[in-house]
Amino acid sequence: MQTTMVAALGALLLGVIALTPGCADQAAATGTSATASTRHQLTGAELYSIHCNRCHPERYPTERTAAQWKTITLHMQVRANIPGNQARMILKYLQDNSGR
Amino acid sequence: MKKHMKTSRWMTGLVAVGCAAGMGAAPRAAAEVSQADFDSLKDLVLKLSDQVQSLRQTNQLEQQLHEQDVQQIQQLQAKLAETSRTATDAQQKAVAASQTAPMPRVPIDEATVNHNFQILGDAEVQYAKTSGQNGSFVMADFAPIFLYRGGDNVLFESGFDFILQNNPQNSNPATPGATTTVNLSFAQLDYVINDYLTLCAGNLLLPLGTYSERSAGWLNKFPDSPLARGFVPGNGVGAELRGAAPLGESGALLNYAVYGVNGPSSSDNTGQAGSLDLGGNVGLRSDNVVANLHGNPTGGGRVAVFVPFKPHYDLELGLSAQSGEWDNAGQHLWTAGVADATLHLGPNLEAKGEYIVSRYGSDDLGNVTQQGWWAQVGYKLAGLNLEFPGINNLELVGRYDSVRDGMGGSTQRTSFGGVYYISNALLFEGAYEFLHSTDPTQADQIILQLSYGF
Repeated sequence: MQTTMVAALGALLLGVIALTPGCADQAAATGTSATASTRHQLTGAELYSIHCNRCHPERYPTERTAAQWKTITLHMQVRANIPGNQARMILKYLQDNSGR
Repeated sequence: MKKHMKTSRWMTGLVAVGCAAGMGAAPRAAAEVSQADFDSLKDLVLKLSDQVQSLRQTNQLEQQLHEQDVQQIQQLQAKLAETSRTATDAQQKAVAASQTAPMPRVPIDEATVNHNFQILGDAEVQYAKTSGQNGSFVMADFAPIFLYRGGDNVLFESGFDFILQNNPQNSNPATPGATTTVNLSFAQLDYVINDYLTLCAGNLLLPLGTYSERSAGWLNKFPDSPLARGFVPGNGVGAELRGAAPLGESGALLNYAVYGVNGPSSSDNTGQAGSLDLGGNVGLRSDNVVANLHGNPTGGGRVAVFVPFKPHYDLELGLSAQSGEWDNAGQHLWTAGVADATLHLGPNLEAKGEYIVSRYGSDDLGNVTQQGWWAQVGYKLAGLNLEFPGINNLELVGRYDSVRDGMGGSTQRTSFGGVYYISNALLFEGAYEFLHSTDPTQADQIILQLSYGF
């Protein structure tokens, strides 16, 4: 019973998060999001070093093509819990420096 | 007047006489040029004549060179005209070809392709020598991960483990010396709902702690897993919502996940303590129907904070739990909790660990509480800036394990080893493990492993 209640509360919390993309997107569009107002905006290269080195040696961007990096970044976005906006910045860095 | 005319006559006479005298004296002056002056003038005239002759010859040579230059210019002009005609012809032919042949297809930028399939994964081969036994190559593992991306928000990913492993030495002589097994480590469909939430469904790697999602051979710096991971399942069939959201402006993240899976079950349909099967609540029922062994799935979740101070400097703290009924009769609850921590202090120092506790009810032993923890530290010698050959590729690692199984058994293990990075994806790992255990079959061992992540 307690397990069910905990799971229900968790699902409720995540449901609220799921229903708030409009607010987040609107804030980002108006430049008022936390990320946009960060004094030092992290670059894609920095985010790549921060997130990817947590679990494994960094791979060279030239090891994969642009399309492969798009798939791998989506895989790691889910696996390593990377917010979508940061994943896109990492992807841009990887694709800009990818193998052809 | 008469006198004046007389004077003029005298003047005229004097002039005439003077002229006559002068004309008579001139030949006398020419006759006075010396022979030396004449010879000198003659030499001068001859030299001038020679110079004129030399200039005339020089002029003839220059005239010849000029004529040659003119000829070369004419030849070059002819060649230029020919080249121009050739270029014009080629251009006309290209225009004609373009009018008759189809336009070549412009290659599509690969990054814009909306669907993509690829294979990642890892492979390992392992050698082990247990105290009192012969050493041998004990395992070869091929673990491909298949990724299929459909658009920007959909990903199907699955991982397999093809393992060739030696059987225990004391097994039945009729059994082969080695067995190949194929395990479906995970197979899940991911749908990215938004930047902060993803729905996953299928055979999931469970976020009970962090190890199960970071246990691939080339990610784990030891050839084997921490002992306490045996108290919790690594995967389960069900559905999950997971994601991360920024915390303030520092780059910190709140990670979260909540899931429901079939959960543990009983290996023999009883509620005996020893029959707990963490492998999953999917199997063959007593009525020969493949289905859930019981109808009550378990639920779980994880919440964590990830704080990056700067690249390569970060701290992650997480709490996770899972709970549900495990026996067929639905009389006993199985609950597990994990606290995990990971710290990076620069690119060369990593420390991480987990504390794991699980408790479940049973028919024979009542409540069984299992607990254990492990802590691991790794340091890459590149941080010392030594100039010995190859030393910058070496990472020294140490790990301590402690487990109590709740049924009187306990094991403590201290492991030392190293990882040599042949490349960023090809690793040679080695560890020596000192064991103190209530299980007499456990002994010290050395394990060597070659790992490759692709």
